[in-house]
Amino acid sequence: MSNLSSLSFYIPELIIIIAILLVIVLDVIPVCKKYTFPLSLGAILLASVFLWQSYGESHGLFMGMISIDPFSHFFKMIFLLSTFSIILISRYEKQLDSNYSAEYNALLLIVLLGMFLMSSSINLIMIYLSIELVSIPSYILAGMLKNDKESNEASLKYVIFGSFASGLMLFGLSILYGITGSTDIGVVTAALQAIEYPLSIYFPLILILVGFGYKISMVPFHFWTPDVYEGAPTPITAFLSVAPKAAGFAILIRVFYTMFTLEGSVSATLPLTNINWPTLIAVASAVTMTLGNLLAVQQEDVKRLLAYSTISHVGFMLMAFAIISPDAVRAIMLYLFIYLFMNLSAFYMAIFASNKLNAHHINDWDGLSRKNPVLCAFMALTLISLTGLPPTAGFVGKFYIFAELFKHQQFYWLAVVAILNSVVSLYYYFKIIKSMYLVDVEGEVNKIEAHPVVNWSIILFSAQNILFFIYWEPLIGFIEKSINLWSG
Amino acid sequence: MAENLFIIIAALVIASAFWVVFSPNLIHSAVSLIFTLFSTAGLYIFLYADFIAATQVVIYVGGILVLIIFGVMLTNSIDTPSIAASSKNQFIGGMGALTIFVIQVAVIFNTPWHIGTEQSRDSTVASIGNLLLNEYLLPFEIISILLLAALMGAALLSRRT
Amino acid sequence: MDSLQSYLIIAAILFSMGIYGVITRKNAVAILMGIELILNSANINFIAFNRFGGMENLDGHVFSIFVIVLAAAEAAVALAIVINLFKNIGSVDVDDADLLQG
Repeated sequence: MSNLSSLSFYIPELIIIIAILLVIVLDVIPVCKKYTFPLSLGAILLASVFLWQSYGESHGLFMGMISIDPFSHFFKMIFLLSTFSIILISRYEKQLDSNYSAEYNALLLIVLLGMFLMSSSINLIMIYLSIELVSIPSYILAGMLKNDKESNEASLKYVIFGSFASGLMLFGLSILYGITGSTDIGVVTAALQAIEYPLSIYFPLILILVGFGYKISMVPFHFWTPDVYEGAPTPITAFLSVAPKAAGFAILIRVFYTMFTLEGSVSATLPLTNINWPTLIAVASAVTMTLGNLLAVQQEDVKRLLAYSTISHVGFMLMAFAIISPDAVRAIMLYLFIYLFMNLSAFYMAIFASNKLNAHHINDWDGLSRKNPVLCAFMALTLISLTGLPPTAGFVGKFYIFAELFKHQQFYWLAVVAILNSVVSLYYYFKIIKSMYLVDVEGEVNKIEAHPVVNWSIILFSAQNILFFIYWEPLIGFIEKSINLWSG
Repeated sequence: MAENLFIIIAALVIASAFWVVFSPNLIHSAVSLIFTLFSTAGLYIFLYADFIAATQVVIYVGGILVLIIFGVMLTNSIDTPSIAASSKNQFIGGMGALTIFVIQVAVIFNTPWHIGTEQSRDSTVASIGNLLLNEYLLPFEIISILLLAALMGAALLSRRT
Repeated sequence: MDSLQSYLIIAAILFSMGIYGVITRKNAVAILMGIELILNSANINFIAFNRFGGMENLDGHVFSIFVIVLAAAEAAVALAIVINLFKNIGSVDVDDADLLQG
């Protein structure tokens, strides 16, 4: 589709771009400075309205650069919801300097735009550009606390590791360009089917996996995750643990299912001949899950524990990625959706505890149930959901992923590893619940109230754990309609 | 004559790249990076990429490298005569780099690259401009937002307040 | 001598040098120089493939322009972060930044 006629399908992204520019301009004019916050929130709401209106269409836009299809639509809803919530919560976070709030919101909106493009790129140039558009503002956002040494160190490690990984990915993309002579994914797919020498496909595949794996914190490219998650301000940690991971999975599914499978579409069932990347992913998944859990078990700091546990969740989702089938894609998308709510409400509870109580250690959470019973109840619900026990939505998500393994009768050893890991995660999630409920605190216990925004965010996000346990049928139906990649 | 010139430029690229990563003195590394980038521009001229060669010299050498030299100067105390850049993990790094090089040579000589007849054109500038405004318009616009983000971020982090 | 393979070998050498530089160097600016070597090797790949591939259009050149611009943006952000770290800690040695274990 030509450039001019693509614009009418590109409206949500245009709204975000205009919002970015307006936020920057309004920040310079002193009298309009206070409008930047409602402007960013309003732009996200407006973009989601326009996104809903255009559901179901499937086009290739801008001469084969991006594709608007139900698959990217689903992921865009996840990105919009998480960015809206993070921008809302960041306003009430004590650590962040309110002088820089306009730049902070503009950078978050730029990351949102990059994630939109990541979920819809079908050209090698757009893949590289969109990943960089998400990464570069993230480096800055991680280092936002300029006087905090830990924040500086976090952003340094992030930028070094991130540039290295994307440089390696770029080299892999250049080899693919050389083999096929074009930058369009469809043409690359057709040419890759005809190559006989396996190393010449393995080499770019591994290099591209380095770039994508760094974005989703797959082992062995996870080294930046613990440092960055600990040093960055907590809302940014919450954001990084949810939205760029979902974007990384979106682009991973799209690229691998299109380029490295025999059928070249999302309904594929076999990898390219002699290129056994599912086994590679299965091994990576087992190592990721185990390493994430082992690291989390040793933690005493709540924020670090939650951050390490996100690595094990990624390992879980990779388990489904090792099976090539549309049902596996459905399981990953369902888990990502539920994981968004679980993780964000857990991090918001950590923000509440550190803001009002200065509580970082698990021992500082002792007796929290008497200080604010409602929020602790919802936090306990979230922790149970993160472990994956019924009757919560986390159980539904894990169930679908396990079902994929048993349905396709592959990688049984992986299921055993996953079950063992779930048991380990039970231990450290319940450490927090035990501290909140079972440890008694002597003396006067004052009730502590959270700011209404934080309060209701925690309650609403955590309530989804029960909601999606009861109503998971419509969600699955919606996801099944969304597994539809535009091709041709 | 052209053959010999190609060999000289290729040797210059490789030799200065070696000196970038092996030199103990950081200023020597930065200056040899200048030589590497200049010689790479020479390689681009051999590949009939005139616009890219000019862009490489102007942006890479004239912009990025000056920035890197600023970075080197600002982050070391001025009174030490030689700025050390010590190394660790040399064995692992060396083995890793060597393995990757061997795999790459195997890939280079065994892959059926997409080969065709070489096109002759007067200058690439017109074609590149055409492509940037027709096929690659979206990346062109998106990279401007990326530059905006980099500008904002760098200014935010380096401000005094 | 002027064949596709020779350009690819040069790019491969630059790539391996860049990886060696990133893994072994301790100074943050020196690591950045290694990353620039990696990006340059990918650029040589793109231009060489475009020249010997016989394509009508200049996709490789356009990709190369985007990589150069992106390297500039990344270098600017990386150096801003390095200078910020230097103001707080007083050194840009990666080993000295070890407040966060792991």
